[in-house]
Amino acid sequence: MHELSLATGLVSTLEGLVREHGASRVIKARVGLGRRSGIVEESFRFGFDALKLESPSLRDALLETIVLDGDDLILMQVEME
Amino acid sequence: MCDTCGCHALGKEGGSSGFTVDVHRSLLEANRKQAEGNRLHLERLGATALNLISSPGSGKTTLLEHTADALMPGFSMGVIEGDIETERDAERIRKKGIPAVQLTTGGACHLDAPLVHQGIHRLVEHAGRDNFDFVFIENVGNLVCPSTFDLGEHRRIVLVSVPEGSDKPAKYPATFERADLFLITKTDLLPYFDFSLAEARKEALEVNPDLEIIELSAVSGQGMADWIAWLRNLRN
Ligand SMILES: Nc1nc2c(ncn2[C@@H]2O[C@H](COP(=O)(O)OP(=O)(O)OP(=O)(O)O)[C@@H](O)[C@H]2O)c(=O)[nH]1
Ligand SMILES: [Mg+2]
Repeated sequence: MHELSLATGLVSTLEGLVREHGASRVIKARVGLGRRSGIVEESFRFGFDALKLESPSLRDALLETIVLDGDDLILMQVEME
Repeated sequence: MCDTCGCHALGKEGGSSGFTVDVHRSLLEANRKQAEGNRLHLERLGATALNLISSPGSGKTTLLEHTADALMPGFSMGVIEGDIETERDAERIRKKGIPAVQLTTGGACHLDAPLVHQGIHRLVEHAGRDNFDFVFIENVGNLVCPSTFDLGEHRRIVLVSVPEGSDKPAKYPATFERADLFLITKTDLLPYFDFSLAEARKEALEVNPDLEIIELSAVSGQGMADWIAWLRNLRN
């Protein structure tokens, strides 16, 4: 369930990056999930997909996840336009 | 093709004015920074802080009630209670003459560092002093979610009670991997359940070879001396 609060963090970080770069929308965000982070990918994705609909610049954003060593959750790369 | 995974939008790479930014930013960073701040804050109070994690009802509050009796003459303690709702656990601790404040998350399944920061301030105010030997932070009853969030504790303790079964370390490895001490609680109930101490120990050590393990019962008192000795040792 804590995946939802982490997805909220991702949404606000992405919105900040869109503003910072003068972009209009996010096409794709790549997120690294630590193997030992205790974060469930499906729940994180579910949270993000629900939250993004409320954000005009994220409505169609794709979430790509990769598994990393360690226990962190890292926003690695963002494709915008 | 479905909206959920966004696969309908795949393959429209070319021809757009898109650009890619390397960000490499941790989404846990804000919590981690606050946790570092909490740790310094707790050290300024002279406190060793402990984060207690377990499923609902494993005996966290009961253990703290009994710990108060055993520690009180020589050591001072304060308690930060985390629950989704109610002041009940903090009230139980206060009845023991221990300063305690309640954090209610209003639905969230874990404490986080910003919430605990408020808790530290409220504890100092409530206790009317700024010096503690131990600050216990009882997390929201949940064996999964709390493990992701550093609160600024010095040691992390995971509890499993005998009725829950000895397969918990294998089933919830992330929580055990990040703990310093594993308490097997309610050992007075061992005769009535098929809990295998050997299995619990072995599987916990498989995920975390450095884990210390203590078996205890707050009701019978068995193992309580080991737990108190473990705590005292943190202050040496
Ligand atoms: N038999 C036995 N029962 C215990 C022991 N410790 C706690 N209990 C009982 O277990 C129940 C739950 O104990 P709590 O201390 O409230 O558990 P908790 O982990 O604080 O629960 P939450 O805060 O709701 O997550 C209570 O009915 C306690 O009396 C023990 O050592 N032996
Ligand atoms: Mg409790």
